[in-house]
Amino acid sequence: MNAIINLFVNGLSTGVLIFLLASGLTLIFGLMSVLNFAHGSFFVWGAFVGLWLYDLTNHFFVALIGAVLVGMLIGWLVERILIQPVYGNHIRQLLVTLGGMLVLIECIRIFWGSNPLRANMPDWLEGSFQFGGVILIKYRLFILVVGFLIYLLLWIILKKTTIGIMIRAGVDNREAVQALGINIKTVFSFVFLFGAGMAALGGFLLAPYSGIIFADMGMQYAILAFIVVIIGGLGSIPGAAIASIIVGLAGAFTAFYIPDLSLSINMLLLIFILLLKPTGILGEKGRA
Amino acid sequence: MIVGLCLFPFINDSRSMLILYTQIFIFAIFAMSFDILLGYTGIVSFGHCMFFGIGAYSAAVTLNTNENSMGFFLLGILIGAVLAVIVSYIVGMLSLRLQSHFYAMLTLGFAELFHVIAEKWRSLTRGGEGFTFRVPEFLSDRLTFYYVALISLVLIYILLRLFTTSSVGKVLRAISQNEQRVEALGFKVLHYKLISSIVAGVVAAYSGALYVITLRFVDPSVFSIEITLDALLMTMIGGVGTLIGPILGSASVEFFQHYLSQLGKTIPIFERWTLFLGLLYIIVILGFPKGIVGTIKSRTQRKITPKNKDLPM
Repeated sequence: MNAIINLFVNGLSTGVLIFLLASGLTLIFGLMSVLNFAHGSFFVWGAFVGLWLYDLTNHFFVALIGAVLVGMLIGWLVERILIQPVYGNHIRQLLVTLGGMLVLIECIRIFWGSNPLRANMPDWLEGSFQFGGVILIKYRLFILVVGFLIYLLLWIILKKTTIGIMIRAGVDNREAVQALGINIKTVFSFVFLFGAGMAALGGFLLAPYSGIIFADMGMQYAILAFIVVIIGGLGSIPGAAIASIIVGLAGAFTAFYIPDLSLSINMLLLIFILLLKPTGILGEKGRA
Repeated sequence: MIVGLCLFPFINDSRSMLILYTQIFIFAIFAMSFDILLGYTGIVSFGHCMFFGIGAYSAAVTLNTNENSMGFFLLGILIGAVLAVIVSYIVGMLSLRLQSHFYAMLTLGFAELFHVIAEKWRSLTRGGEGFTFRVPEFLSDRLTFYYVALISLVLIYILLRLFTTSSVGKVLRAISQNEQRVEALGFKVLHYKLISSIVAGVVAAYSGALYVITLRFVDPSVFSIEITLDALLMTMIGGVGTLIGPILGSASVEFFQHYLSQLGKTIPIFERWTLFLGLLYIIVILGFPKGIVGTIKSRTQRKITPKNKDLPM
């Protein structure tokens, strides 16, 4: 029984971490329908810049803010240079951001070398405590809290603020929003910037969790994030959250009970859910 | 052009050039098969490496577990082709009904599954390290193999040309232009898309088989997404919706990589050729969306044809 509870807790926190990675993509891909393959490089940049700042300053939160700012800057550049010319054309978005990914990842190799780097967590997040036979690792609890906060933040921004209304309206009908005198280009740029910042945050928090970071991890996690966004249903934040937790739990349980399946469980989930419900768990009909 | 390529080995007998050209022919075949999907049918598969890898492993495993004769090489190709038909049929039946970007992600998922199988089925594939194997005597000579690859390219070009100009090919073109209208005319769109993906799958499997013969080695990287992306880049650079385009694209990309890595020996920044490859991607997509062939075509025929329709999707 304890094993099951432990697996559940681990899977849950992995799921929340996946949600952090996917949350930016829910906005960019799920909501704005921009297929951005460079998204993975935002995580990687967040992780590398964050680690570098952390080594330099030894302040966890300075590093965190620095990573997010750099992620936003890169996101802004990518949106300006690569994506603005190709809004509305999925294939070209995909290709051009693929090029962007190659360039951004190669820059990581130029600055930090090709070898993986070790990432340590701050002292105050290290360790664990026991709670009725269940070992709770502090860092995982921390991830749970951050994930919950991000979820709330996203939900509030999208559902309760004017800018959220503008974004949702802009996605549904660009021209109508434009006609109301709102500069939809700026709104979309903002969403992109915000999404990239979230990705960088996810990458930064992922680094101590996996203990090691390397330039190639971008593609791997980007695919994971894409899977989550699609499983959850495009544009749905609760969907992405549920899908992240399903993916996290499935990963934890298969790694323990059927290790041979663990590498392919995400893809099997994707295939299974898309075949069952092509719009994803909470996807609305017609959107996408 | 073809005569020139036939004579080429006699003019320039450097081994590395021979291998480079062979590589170009093989990837040209692969890129053409990709364009059957992307350019002619208007569907984007992210899992095209799946068929490349199936062909690669079929040939490699057959040659490795049996004697290295031509017969077993042909058997390997046949196995690869049969597997490609089965897999493309099943994957197509499951996913072709979906919207384009769901289809793209789902094919990516299937390709990833094959990648995992190649890593996990150790008794057959030796896992992540891969294995070397002996190729048939006849193909072990680089010069002979150069001609085998060249002849394959020409034959497959002719066959695919026949396919694309056939009535099935015309329906596929129509699907890429306006799927709803073709459906409304009473054609079973799914049926035609399946034919398209089976043809593309078999050709891709053949190119995979040739590919492992040049390397004499196979590992799970034949199932990696980079292989699909290479095909995408080659098709885009050359020109979507043509058969010459992917061939030119394959030549451009391979030459580009070759010379950049050569240049890297003297100027260190060019060692980072991926950086320049990425920049090339960006420039081509933003600047020349129709690729080499498309750009030339629209320059020469600007007055005759109405503005070309933009890319599918």
